[in-house]
Amino acid sequence: MNTLGNILKAIKKHLGWDGANKIPFPDLFGRFEDIIQQNNAAMELIADMGGKTGGEYLFDKKYLIDKVKQLEELVRLSAYDLNFITNNQYPQIYGTIESLARKLENILAGKVALHKKKPVYDLDEIDEFMEDVAGYKAYNLSIVHNLAKANVPSGFVVAIVGFRNYLAYNNLFKKIEELIEAYREEKMSVESVSHAVRLLILGGDIPPELRREILSAAELICEKSPESWCYSVRSSAVGEGGDFSFAGLHDSFLNVSYSELLSSFKKTMASLYNPASLEYRKKMNLFSMEMAMPVLFQGMVKSRVAGVLYTVDPNEPEKRECILSASWGLGNVVVEDQGQVDVFRVSRVAPHLIIEKKIGSKTWMVAPREIGSARKVPAELQNEPCLTPQEAATIVEASLILERYFKRPLDVEWSLDEGGKLWILQARPINIPRASGLQRSKLKGVLEGHRILLQERGTIAYQSIGAGPVWIVRDSKDLSEFPSGGVLVSRFAPPWLARAIPRASAVVTDIGSPTGHMATVAREFRVPALVDTAIATKILKPGQEVTVDAEERVIYEGRISELLRHKLLRPETFETTHEFRLLRRLLRRIAPLSLTDPEAPNFNAESCQTFHDIMRFMHEKAIQALAQVGKHPRSLLKQGGKRLKSDLPLNLVLIDVGGGFTKDVGRGVYIDPDQINSFPMKMLWQGLSSPQAWNTEPIAVDFKDLMSSLTKTQSAEVAGNTLTDVNLAVIDANYVNLSLRLGYHFTAIDAGVGPLIENNYIFFRFIGGVTDITQRSRRAGLLMSILEKNNFRVEISGDLVIARAIHLTREQMKDNLYLIGRLIGFARQLDVLLKHDSDVEIYFEKFMNEIMGSTENQ
Amino acid sequence: MNKTTVCVLDDEAIVGDRLKPELEDDGYDVEVFTDSAVALKRVTEKCFDIVVTDLKMDGIDGMAFLEMVKEKCPACEVIMITGYATIETFRESRIKGAYEFIAKPFRMSEIRVAVKRAKKKVRRKGFVKLMTGK
Repeated sequence: MNTLGNILKAIKKHLGWDGANKIPFPDLFGRFEDIIQQNNAAMELIADMGGKTGGEYLFDKKYLIDKVKQLEELVRLSAYDLNFITNNQYPQIYGTIESLARKLENILAGKVALHKKKPVYDLDEIDEFMEDVAGYKAYNLSIVHNLAKANVPSGFVVAIVGFRNYLAYNNLFKKIEELIEAYREEKMSVESVSHAVRLLILGGDIPPELRREILSAAELICEKSPESWCYSVRSSAVGEGGDFSFAGLHDSFLNVSYSELLSSFKKTMASLYNPASLEYRKKMNLFSMEMAMPVLFQGMVKSRVAGVLYTVDPNEPEKRECILSASWGLGNVVVEDQGQVDVFRVSRVAPHLIIEKKIGSKTWMVAPREIGSARKVPAELQNEPCLTPQEAATIVEASLILERYFKRPLDVEWSLDEGGKLWILQARPINIPRASGLQRSKLKGVLEGHRILLQERGTIAYQSIGAGPVWIVRDSKDLSEFPSGGVLVSRFAPPWLARAIPRASAVVTDIGSPTGHMATVAREFRVPALVDTAIATKILKPGQEVTVDAEERVIYEGRISELLRHKLLRPETFETTHEFRLLRRLLRRIAPLSLTDPEAPNFNAESCQTFHDIMRFMHEKAIQALAQVGKHPRSLLKQGGKRLKSDLPLNLVLIDVGGGFTKDVGRGVYIDPDQINSFPMKMLWQGLSSPQAWNTEPIAVDFKDLMSSLTKTQSAEVAGNTLTDVNLAVIDANYVNLSLRLGYHFTAIDAGVGPLIENNYIFFRFIGGVTDITQRSRRAGLLMSILEKNNFRVEISGDLVIARAIHLTREQMKDNLYLIGRLIGFARQLDVLLKHDSDVEIYFEKFMNEIMGSTENQ
Repeated sequence: MNKTTVCVLDDEAIVGDRLKPELEDDGYDVEVFTDSAVALKRVTEKCFDIVVTDLKMDGIDGMAFLEMVKEKCPACEVIMITGYATIETFRESRIKGAYEFIAKPFRMSEIRVAVKRAKKKVRRKGFVKLMTGK
């Protein structure tokens, strides 16, 4: 009986007969409005936190704790509201929120529990908190790995825990400590201590679990890149290459075969106690620091030529030249400074021409895949330059991107493989004495001699200094020719600008937000960025050399080397502070949005990765709950929904959840378009109702299309749109959510405007059509071109188009909503028109011309 | 001319860590403290030209520190920084002689400008004292 009762209950619930399911409309709308407001507030908070990553602000841990707390409160409130209006349909969301909240709490508490136990990490897994865990070399490479433009051979690191486990497993801690003590007290010579300790380490056994992990991680490298059957095993000591220069004191091994991996691991650990290393520690008084040796394993590059690049000449840092040395094969003759090599002086300025070259007589080389000692270079290659000018330029370009990121002159080990691909093997700062820099107060005199082009304008998106020739970008064509090291100047900050940012020495925009996508990318690559200057594109001239000081918000004419060196040689950068790292770590769990398509199978509570995802999910589900009301248009109208008066065949009902109508709206069922007060709905309606948008010319549908349309009927019904009788829009003063079914086309728009640019967004989804999939895909491609041209980020899959535009100015919102309105009418019949691929281009031009004409007349 | 001296006190280390190099870069002589008792001890030994202090701290809080600094070194200008800005605390710190009140988080340029203004005031007072003996 009980089972039968449950089944009946389930059926009733499914059919909507369940009495408990009926939430009174005022409650429903009230809670819905709360969700929208909480969503906006959460977006504001996220934007505020994002804005703090640019370096301009000083914030403390309390700020982080407060913001996280406020965000959690908003998310929890929304979850409660959502479950209220949906009769607890989404209880899982509470679990997702709490688990994410716990993660944030752990981050704030500085707990990185995972790191303490795990001995082996893939390079991908190393994050910015792990320098002390993975050692300097592995840590730096993991950063390089995450920056575009350069390849890092795949690899893994046996972290400090692995070293400790090894010592513990072999009972070595005490023995080593005693020997070191004897050396410190000068009871034993450095040679005998070094020898004894190294013997102890070499004679130990690797704990079985660690051995298994090393070998399986090594196998994984082979799976990822089967061509590298050999490995490099390198020291990655903590502090190495950072504050202290252990360069060359520890051992690294190249061309290591699989069977030698474990013995090389032991040899590398043992090299921590090389005589020179012990002497250096004694001299620098470093014995209080724990001695530990993380070991880095990587697949070997099939290196044709390799070498070292200094991004500045340490002896003449003011010269704008890099020093590049290269030799055939693995290039360790360069690192170890043996034999003859080619040395090039290459300009730091794009296109990075070779200024001077000394071609060495390269007699010896270590070839890839060869185990053992060096062999003779073939006679015909010995005196040949081993790099072409183009190759040299590529190496310099990639290294300068790294230098901008690390904000230090760098020593970069690189390799070009047989296919000409550039690999970065190591990057570490060159120590140049700080004295060669100038104090800001003393810079004053220097700066006075330079003409100021722009001052006290704009907002800092990333605080730093850069110089180069101005390159004004108006469309993506300009961008494809953008020179490396140029100053990127643009009227807006559209997302597509992002792809040039790694190559830019600075970014300046007229309009834009420090929390926009472009700014986020600038921060990721640490490129100085000044946004919202209003007039940069008018003041700065293409090709003009400028220095952008995105610390003081000044742009100078010409290149001010003193200022650039001041930046490059400054001891600390704000990124290294604990709070900045915390903020970035928190943001990773807060800001990214991965749930974009509400129709995707993973659009559920469990798949939410971040607070942004959760807010997006709840927002969408709240809309759907409200759309359920649309099943009963009569009750909808009874509860205050208004039918929009229009000649268009839309049958549109508007539900106002706050300020969406003008005050003079009465109790009647109808509303005039000019009684819409909702800003985004008004703009959308202007586009939708524009006379050109509804081309009423009859369109010939041929037999094939007609058949296609008949077979389409069924799938259209199950496409998730329940509004069979009316189309529904939920609005408030600053918000619209519109679901439209026009014939066989389904369109959804969700758009909001707020007091800050970062509150503004448009989400657009379009699917369906009468014709076969080829024509519908053509239409998807056309819509994509139009939307991308207008700063939307677009994804298409078959005939589904999903577009998002975020962080728009109010003016851009206005234009883009109008455009979307026009596009809905335009797209309705497009698939029938797009008979050939070439039609896409024709209709693109047609639409863009029409829209340009009408926005100018608006 | 001697460098203007600045004392920065905040129990959150990042404040001193970031302000010290910035202010030194601007030519100030900067000392940083995270413990108000230690800072107070230093203030009794040496009068700074400018003090930048957090408001809410364990032990001696910013308000008490302000009073003690003003008593010991009346010419010193004190800039209060706080994440708990209220009208009441603002008013109270003004009455007790604070020069400026800045809410956290703040832009680095804001604090640099505030310190620069405080420096001008301190110099002006020093000049007046030199000329008039008062």
